Amino acid sequence: MEWLLENRTRLLTLGILIVLFLLAISGMPAEEWVITALRGLALGALTFLVAAGLSIIFGLMDVLNLAHGELFMLGAYMGWTIYVRPDTVIDGATPFLLIASLLVLVPLLTRWVRSLTLPDLVDKIWPWVGLAAGIGLLVFALFQYPLSTWDLENYAQSPISNAIAFETGTFQSPPPAEFEASPVLVIGGVIVGSGLLALAAAGFSARQTTLRQPSPTQMRNIAIVSGGLFALAFVVLAINNPLTEFMLGLGSTPRFFIAMALASVTGALLGWTIEVTMIRPLYDRPIYQIMLTLGLGFIILELVRAVWGRPEFQMPRPAVFAGTGEGCPATSIGDLVQYQCATIEVLGGRVRMYNEVFIIIVGLLVLGAVALLLQRTRLGMIIRAGVQDSEMVEALGINVRQVFSQVFALGVGLAALGGVLAGPSLGLSNGMGARVLLLALIALAVGGLTSFSGAAAGAVLIGLLQQFIIKYGQIGINVPFMAEPFKPSPPLVPASSVLLMVVILLILPQGLFGRKE
Amino acid sequence: METTISKTTAERPTLAWLRQNRGTLAVLVVLLLLPFIIAIIDGQSISSVLANESGNSKFFQGLLIEIFILGLFALSYDLLLGITGLLSLGHAMFFAVGGYLTGILIKSFGWGLVPTIAAVTVAAIVQALLFAVVLPRVKGLTFALVTLGFASVFHIVVQSREAAPFTGADVGLQGVVIPAFLDPVDQRLRVYFIALLITMVVYFLYQRFVDSPTGRVCIAIRENEDRALMLGYNTFQYKVIVLLISSLTAAFAGMLHTIHQPIVSPNIAGLGYMVIALLIILIGGVGTLSGALIGAAVFRLLDFFIDRWFGEAATFLLGVIYVLLVLFVPFGIVGTWRQHSSQFTHQIEAIIERLRPKKENPE
Repeated sequence: MEWLLENRTRLLTLGILIVLFLLAISGMPAEEWVITALRGLALGALTFLVAAGLSIIFGLMDVLNLAHGELFMLGAYMGWTIYVRPDTVIDGATPFLLIASLLVLVPLLTRWVRSLTLPDLVDKIWPWVGLAAGIGLLVFALFQYPLSTWDLENYAQSPISNAIAFETGTFQSPPPAEFEASPVLVIGGVIVGSGLLALAAAGFSARQTTLRQPSPTQMRNIAIVSGGLFALAFVVLAINNPLTEFMLGLGSTPRFFIAMALASVTGALLGWTIEVTMIRPLYDRPIYQIMLTLGLGFIILELVRAVWGRPEFQMPRPAVFAGTGEGCPATSIGDLVQYQCATIEVLGGRVRMYNEVFIIIVGLLVLGAVALLLQRTRLGMIIRAGVQDSEMVEALGINVRQVFSQVFALGVGLAALGGVLAGPSLGLSNGMGARVLLLALIALAVGGLTSFSGAAAGAVLIGLLQQFIIKYGQIGINVPFMAEPFKPSPPLVPASSVLLMVVILLILPQGLFGRKE
Repeated sequence: METTISKTTAERPTLAWLRQNRGTLAVLVVLLLLPFIIAIIDGQSISSVLANESGNSKFFQGLLIEIFILGLFALSYDLLLGITGLLSLGHAMFFAVGGYLTGILIKSFGWGLVPTIAAVTVAAIVQALLFAVVLPRVKGLTFALVTLGFASVFHIVVQSREAAPFTGADVGLQGVVIPAFLDPVDQRLRVYFIALLITMVVYFLYQRFVDSPTGRVCIAIRENEDRALMLGYNTFQYKVIVLLISSLTAAFAGMLHTIHQPIVSPNIAGLGYMVIALLIILIGGVGTLSGALIGAAVFRLLDFFIDRWFGEAATFLLGVIYVLLVLFVPFGIVGTWRQHSSQFTHQIEAIIERLRPKKENPE
């Protein structure tokens, strides 16, 4: 009883939301509302993949990562590249791995640089010289590096026609690019350039007065990782052509799953790098973190525009979810497996397998996995405790900051996974990041800023609301005192969810599932 | 205590004020003469500048007017974020309401300038009160999110098909006929002087405000709101005052924007435009006021030249500059300069102190 009284506003709000949902359902026939609800759940699943990371990152380290939407977008474009143009990815892997293997060495180099005694003037200047020389050499060498890629200027070879050709099955990858200059010189240039860059970075970080020395085991691990990356780079270079042929020979379904996995891993690595290099120095200045992530978002957006171009294009659906013709739309599970249909029949309406079923399944899997991680593992326990009171956790002798990088990596990895998933259903565009960020922020605010389950519930709520309003935009709402049904225009759809957020925050400032401060 | 009183009474207040602001006043004089100086360097006659003939001078007047408008906008944001510590992500709405209202009233309703000014004032007060209604319920980041929500709704509504007859949807408001005596093309010199005057007056008023007891309480709210509350200040009241001032300034900056551009694009209502204000005060120095104006000048000129030299890559470079600023120059131009100059003056004072012969205490 007491609990009821305490939570009466919350229960009332939930009740009103349920009544509104029932009202919305009663306005249309059964097959239509089922499809609309499925669409809403799918949009909710995509929003959830972004909101989950945002919520854990914000809860644990008080960083509102405003670049999260753009990272989602970057994940989508990376996924598209792995999926449609694996040759480009394999070509680019070698120089990327080489640069990474040398930059990983920075902590070791810092230790070495600190033990040096140089004349004052030389000590001041050399990192700048190294930085300029390293960047110059790297840019020069990378421009010489052969990369079979698309061409933004030429429509026939642009990402759009690549995607269309892939969908119709007429895509032919261009002949593998060959070294024009001597390979030894170009690869040597990349190695020396990134080596200089790493040295310069070590020179800069050696100047910091408070520097944690890596322990011997850490140093050994760093050396092993670096050596491994270095060796991997040459392995990839050696088997470049067979690997490319193998990837292109794979069916579109396994390739799509490879793209999902690779893009999430790359996203996670990117997130880890961002946390370590840029966010970590700013934990004492909270407002600057928000500004930094805003700026980062702009940089990523411009990068995407420069590499993949401005026009919108679609990621082709994998073959399992693209079957049409005989036996489709499927009426039973057996048909579905046999003909690999794009659509199935539910209550007389057609449900698209990829857009409205697969995305929801992946969303549920991720929800379960993250919930398990949070509830059942030691890392999850530290995260949960850190969200509640990170100072207390530190006082108990746990290094919370070490968890920060892992959590940031996890969040960005999930966002990148969401991006790849969204590719075939929402399409790839420069604006997708900003749109999904707005949705995720709303979901977060509605569900309670730091609550993980709240983020999930908020995402589903926002997804359902958006899809039902879009549906009513087609069929119209019968408003009393108006002759014609009112049809909200598409731009007003996002406005409705924003309004929902404002109203809910005004009634319940801590969100639907948040805890009172 | 004795000495400070005798000092202020020895000098007339106006003189003291002039002495304190001699740097700003010098800049003001230079800006007043700048159109003519550019003309002379360029070999144009003064009379042609007065007649608003096209040339380099007129072009730079246009650029400077944009700087003034951006400066006003950034000033109003600095008062919220830098002085009072209120993180609002809906500040572009403050600006865009002024801009759109001016355009719509002049274009669709044929209002004169004076009633338009009155309407913009009312609208600015109303939107500040709208933000104020939310204030006691939501704090910190939730306030930022709610303001972001308000601004997004405004941005979406302005762009929507339903509002197209008034706002021109995503094309923007075009063909606003500005009264002839303020025509941005034929009377640019006049617009330039008016914008300069408004900017300077607002800047001095802001400085006066921050130095006043009310302003000091605002700084206290930024530093520690609970403590200010405990000392007996009704912090809500002070925040409302700040919101009102900020909203009025931003709305009039938006009005100037419409008068200068004759085109209102929906971009000015978006999150991106608020980020520009953030970038400007970051360049100039958060919470310094003068940093907002200097930052606006640096930002606009940087934008202009980067755009001219690098074209497409301009936004990317601006993003990189922005991130580097956050990481390495967090106090901005004015903030860093103040830090160093205070160190410098401290050193000089220490030296003087050491040189001065020890005197007996008069007490």
